[in-house]
Amino acid sequence: MRRVVSLYLPNWSVDRLRRQLGNDAPPPDQPLVLVGRVGRRRVVTAANAAALQAGARPGQAATQAQALIPGLDVRDADPQGDADALERLAVWALRRYAPVCQADPPDGLAIDATGAAHLKGGETAMLADMVDRLAEAGVQAEVAIAPAYGAAHALARFRRDLRIVDDGGIDAAIGPLPLEALRLPHDLVAGLRRMGFERIADVVHRPRAPLALRFGPDLGRRLDQAYARTAEPLIPVEAPEAPRVERVFAEPIGAPETLARYAGALAADLCRALEAAGLGVRRLDWLCYRVDNRLEAVRVGLARPVRDLSRITRLLTDKIETIDPGFGIDRMILVATSAERLDWRPGAAALAETATPDVFDLIDVLANRIGARRLYRLQPVESDVPERSMRKVPPLAAPSARDWTPDWPRPTRLLRRPEPVETLALLPDNPPTHFTWRGIRRRVVRADGPERIFGEWRRRDAELHAVRDYFQVEDDAGERFWLFRAGDGEDATTGSQAWFIHGLFG
Amino acid sequence: MSGSRGRLAAIRATIAALEAGGRPDAGVLPFGDEGLDGRLPGGGLALGRWHEIVGVGLEAETSAAPSAFAALMAAPLAKKGEAVWVLRRDDLWAPGLEGLGFPPERLIQVCARDEAEALAVMEDALGTVGVSAVFGEVEAVDLTAGRRLQLACERRGTTGFVIKRRPFGGTGKAEAAGSVTASRWRVKSAPSEPAADEFGLGAPRFEVALERCRGGRTGAWILEADRAYSWEAGDVAHPLRLVADLGDRELAPASGRRRAA
Repeated sequence: MRRVVSLYLPNWSVDRLRRQLGNDAPPPDQPLVLVGRVGRRRVVTAANAAALQAGARPGQAATQAQALIPGLDVRDADPQGDADALERLAVWALRRYAPVCQADPPDGLAIDATGAAHLKGGETAMLADMVDRLAEAGVQAEVAIAPAYGAAHALARFRRDLRIVDDGGIDAAIGPLPLEALRLPHDLVAGLRRMGFERIADVVHRPRAPLALRFGPDLGRRLDQAYARTAEPLIPVEAPEAPRVERVFAEPIGAPETLARYAGALAADLCRALEAAGLGVRRLDWLCYRVDNRLEAVRVGLARPVRDLSRITRLLTDKIETIDPGFGIDRMILVATSAERLDWRPGAAALAETATPDVFDLIDVLANRIGARRLYRLQPVESDVPERSMRKVPPLAAPSARDWTPDWPRPTRLLRRPEPVETLALLPDNPPTHFTWRGIRRRVVRADGPERIFGEWRRRDAELHAVRDYFQVEDDAGERFWLFRAGDGEDATTGSQAWFIHGLFG
Repeated sequence: MSGSRGRLAAIRATIAALEAGGRPDAGVLPFGDEGLDGRLPGGGLALGRWHEIVGVGLEAETSAAPSAFAALMAAPLAKKGEAVWVLRRDDLWAPGLEGLGFPPERLIQVCARDEAEALAVMEDALGTVGVSAVFGEVEAVDLTAGRRLQLACERRGTTGFVIKRRPFGGTGKAEAAGSVTASRWRVKSAPSEPAADEFGLGAPRFEVALERCRGGRTGAWILEADRAYSWEAGDVAHPLRLVADLGDRELAPASGRRRAA
């Protein structure tokens, strides 16, 4: 299943202009329009939110907009500049997100994220990352991911509530959308409307032949593209100056062994190119063009720059199973989309010295196979509340200076959230004598505590008075548990005085 | 008598050499107690092999005692290199491990989506230079998976610890009849015995049964982590101390005797 992202930039021209002007940009609430030429007329091509609210519309005559809105800021549109900047944005997306990105002028990007989302921690995280990064740069963006570009395109532009659509959900997702969402020419949509078709769902289940006779082949093609029934090849943008090697095959290849062999051969070529340039690869794209003009792309990320042939080959061969060769592959490209300086370094300073242990290899292999977010170390954080005192960091993150040395023993297993237990305990500060957890009643033989932990009022107002009293208890079988009472046992404002289990010592 | 002993030792050495297949022996990690080390082949926990640690009752789900025991057993190893812990649920908590003397800053945790992925990650981790111990929480290891793990262990002499853990609410898979594990430890907590003048809990204790041991003898003991939660560093001795021997299975009648082949 393909996963295609549509990135829609509703205010691309205006956002870009503001970015160019920097500090000289007019305040955002000042109505602003961009004016270009259509034939001999000067028309509004884009307008900011303030101008739109005041009545300006793209396609309107410039003079009309000026007459309508007093104090309107009128600037010249730069369609060529916008298109060029969009291409550059596609290269940015290529470096950052996925091996196949295409600018979709005038205001969008198409990104084939098949098998690339895991490097950003999954699809939700990847989409959020796109929107956040562009927002930081002052560009408003809408994104959607779907099995076909047509569907993603429609969702990004016409639905705010749905961002991720799976194979089975296309019909439900885009069916209720108006016909404009199908990327059809304006007069065709108008024609369909005249015949009573309003939404995509109205047309898609109709017999095709009469519609094709009346409206031409475009309608059927766009419908099939939106419903992932037909291929819509993207033409990937190329990163300039990225080391790149290519092989063209006289006979298409398809067997996994053959793919592995040529992956190795391409990797060897690429390593030579990297060596000549003194670079190491951080992000590697493997593009396989199939004979039926589909593109199978694989992205491999590395934790630090590498140009070691065996490691690169291993990471590539790991990914062969994700490539569907179809009727065969006739062209293969390997691009070091992101490369960094890598100088020669002696392996070990002296013969006697053993090479420092090096787990980068393992981390690369695992991050590419199961996703970088599933691989972590725990690092202490300045907080007394147990569930906040640790955070997950990438395995190669710098070790934190802080040491974890609490005064009290801590359990080896921390429950995801504290589970309520039924207890029998004396107030205010005795440990329970019995407790029941998961249907098993346990008698407490020994206990240690209380360790009082106060809520962090600086994080949440509700924690201003909150108190937890932690006890380490041992039952008659020797099993140890970490229980706490919400509250100090006397004052109702400090908590509910209910008991919870938070961890297991074993 | 001594002659037959000598011959027996020679035969054992020959078998061990054949089993190792010419690979260098990765050595052993002694517990530092004659009663325990004497049962294990080579006088300690075999390195470059994988060991199975099993919980009892609800612990088969929560897996607190087995993983605490595994961390204690492997703590001397973890100080030598990176450790990898493959989980299915991310509830392992670093402060607890640190309390047991296991350095959490050397630990990479991997959260696997399913059983097959967990085993594959373990295999990869075992074959990596710089990794000294690999823990994996899996439900069952069949013969093929066990053999693969063993081959991965042998590649770099890394030691694996398979902690049997079934998903919450699950019934658990049927145990495969055979296993290539080097040893199987059944672990449950045992009541601690704090000193008379001490308040609260004593050092954590584990009732440990060595159920299978390739080339060694089975046994059952009570072990104590006597330096746990004391925050003292720089100790070279093994963190587990033998408290009591729970009977010698060798002396039991032949019918009840279980020997790993």
